[in-house]
Amino acid sequence: MPIEVKRLCHTYLAGTAGEKAALKDIELNIEKGEFFGIIGHTGSGKSTLLQHMGGIMPPEAGTVIVDGYDFADKKQRIEGRKKVGLVFQYPEYQLFEETVAKDIAFGPKNMKLEQEEIDRRVRRAMELVGLDWERFAEKSPFELSGGEKRRAALAGIIAMEPGYLILDEPMAGLDPAGRRAILDMLDGIRRETGCAVIMVSHSMDDIAAYSDRVAVMQDGSIISTGTPAEIFGGELDLEAMGLELPAASGLGNLLRSKGMDVPEIYTMDGMAEYLLGRRQSA
Amino acid sequence: MIKIDHVTYRYDEEHTALKDISLEINKGEMLAIVGHNGSGKSTLAKHLNALLLPTAGHVTVEGMDTAVEGNTLNIRKKVGMVFQNPDNQIVTTIVEEDVAFGPENLGVHPEEIRRRVNESLKAVGMEAYARSAPHMLSGGQKQRIAIAGMLAMEPEVLVLDEATAMLDPQGRRDVLDIVGRLNRERGMTVVMITQYMEEALAADRVIVMADGMLIAQGTPREVFSRGRELRANGLDLPPIAMLRDKLIDGGMNIPADVITAEELAEAICPLK
Amino acid sequence: MLKDITLGQYFPGNSFVHRLDPRTKLLLMSAYIVAVFIVRNMWLFTLVAAYVIGVTAIAGVPVSYLWRSLKPLRFILIFMFVINLLVTATGDTLFEWWIIKITTGGLRQAVYISLRLILLVSGTSLMTLTTTPIALTDGLERLLSPFAKMGFPAHELAMMMTIALRFIPTLIEEADKITRAQTARGADFETGSLIDRAKAMVTILVPLFVSAFRRADELAMAMESRCYHGGEGRTRMTVLKYTKNDLKAALSMALLIGIIITVQAVA
Repeated sequence: MPIEVKRLCHTYLAGTAGEKAALKDIELNIEKGEFFGIIGHTGSGKSTLLQHMGGIMPPEAGTVIVDGYDFADKKQRIEGRKKVGLVFQYPEYQLFEETVAKDIAFGPKNMKLEQEEIDRRVRRAMELVGLDWERFAEKSPFELSGGEKRRAALAGIIAMEPGYLILDEPMAGLDPAGRRAILDMLDGIRRETGCAVIMVSHSMDDIAAYSDRVAVMQDGSIISTGTPAEIFGGELDLEAMGLELPAASGLGNLLRSKGMDVPEIYTMDGMAEYLLGRRQSA
Repeated sequence: MIKIDHVTYRYDEEHTALKDISLEINKGEMLAIVGHNGSGKSTLAKHLNALLLPTAGHVTVEGMDTAVEGNTLNIRKKVGMVFQNPDNQIVTTIVEEDVAFGPENLGVHPEEIRRRVNESLKAVGMEAYARSAPHMLSGGQKQRIAIAGMLAMEPEVLVLDEATAMLDPQGRRDVLDIVGRLNRERGMTVVMITQYMEEALAADRVIVMADGMLIAQGTPREVFSRGRELRANGLDLPPIAMLRDKLIDGGMNIPADVITAEELAEAICPLK
Repeated sequence: MLKDITLGQYFPGNSFVHRLDPRTKLLLMSAYIVAVFIVRNMWLFTLVAAYVIGVTAIAGVPVSYLWRSLKPLRFILIFMFVINLLVTATGDTLFEWWIIKITTGGLRQAVYISLRLILLVSGTSLMTLTTTPIALTDGLERLLSPFAKMGFPAHELAMMMTIALRFIPTLIEEADKITRAQTARGADFETGSLIDRAKAMVTILVPLFVSAFRRADELAMAMESRCYHGGEGRTRMTVLKYTKNDLKAALSMALLIGIIITVQAVA
């Protein structure tokens, strides 16, 4: 059973002068195993939505159901939370244990698993994020490099073996090589474990290249959901929403303005393939 | 303006962050320093205003050696620096008081401070927030305040040490616009340390660093037409330059020094 | 959200009282505290109370705000009242039972102590209600600056307070974020034994401390880059200036204290 969000609303500072609707009538279904991208301007409600799906914020109005657990009910929410792994922005700031292995074990331990199972999960999570057990397990998390810390923090969530991995800008602050490494890693984990990846990002190129489906948020509402082709295909005026176009879409627009007949392509790889293919057929 | 002469910097016995770097920063230029995490670019930036002193070699700002203690304040007055984390460089609880912090430290006359604060806030488009509390502002707005705080010291060089890394696209655009304008309109020398290759496109000159060494320099066009070399050093090109190389590899006849989307479109269209 | 919590209890306004120099307010506050302690007469207590209410009215602060500041004090008030009532044994006996003996002297003492506490707290609240924490810090620094020559770290103290005020909201927000992140990892902050909960707190405190140290490090660098080198040779953008209003306020306080001293000397 997937994640179902129905008519979800949330208001910040309800009843005060600063009252602000953060979420308005959100409707969303996320299937098992899909890579789901969420885009939107800062303050459009993306993080609030993620926290609802992660079971950290109880729904005030509307429902959030994850694998049949209704998050409006406190007991079900606490139980259902185990199905979702919520990764906040800059997750390395939550590391606290003496060693990397202990930190990663924190989540599984809270799930009251057997020690053997915990060990197995810690090893597997480290393998999935590409941290070598021999080298890193006994190291202090505070001695790692920036990129390694981020991986260790992600491993802490992955070790809980969630069915849905929910991430708020998991690549923030990393350099291009680091960004790609994290994205490939997430996609690899999704293929390997079958968990869905739900990711918020400001990078349209990354969202366009990796997502199966994309939702666009604005002012607390989801204004469109669809495949990357539908979202970046030119029908939505993303630029008017303060969002950037994927670099390939921008190039496509330029080519069309110069009189060239190019279909909507939103990834650089796709663009290269198309242009080279077109040349060969000509 | 600033001369970096055979500078080596060691954190400790084993870690050398900068290896024999020589570089001159010219008055009025916009210089971008790019490189991956740990390439030494931030360490180099911190040498420009005497926050770090070279283990070997010299850094001089308008002839003043950063290693001479008596020069420190004068150097910092000339070289303003904006850091990565917007939160950790704002000192007080009211925006305009924070902008005043630098000139206050320099012992500037109160009326003159007031004038500079008003002008600096205007230059970054934040005059409406003069009496706001910094913690209520967005990351991009905080960085604009940090820039205003530097401008109020009337520096000649503005160093941005990955100042856009933690911002959303909107905040990044705003900061880059302001910095570009300061460079064009006031002739402010700008040194931009960044991991975003696209940001380097706007610079007059690009320096590429890897493992504490300077591995390439030139105009953005010169540097980004050497894609293979850069990739061999684990560096990414701007997306357009990457596509260019793929098309060239696929046998398309495109000039190797194309770096913007506009140019690439121009090059592709006649080929059809 | 947590980040909207403002520190202190500033009530924004632009009244006569709000516009007074923070140094004036600090000095008058000290004088007021002395006044409250020398009063030993019911009529004079009424006078001081009238003064406080008068200033509150001028400041445009609702009296309910003063009332709110007294609320946390109610247990101490009752305690002080009862203790003084029981311990003091002077004057006529009003009531006697077993070892309890209430006298007119005790009653008077108990009432006076309670009134003093109430006046003290409402007076100081009035100051924090009409002055921003940063203005108070500023005023304090400048009042104490003459002592800097004797080695008293007036500037350093004020700088510390300023930075604390600046970073408390940031750290509260951060603690809130870390709490959520650890909750997402199954940490339980609500149930379990005291030891369990203390253990859970560690998962918040360690990252918070690590982050605070990192912030301190970066802030120090940013301050150095902005030529900070202590209080020496430093100027300020806002120069505090005494105005006629400050004189008026000082005169009113002088008058109040004058009346108190005269009346009590005559009595």
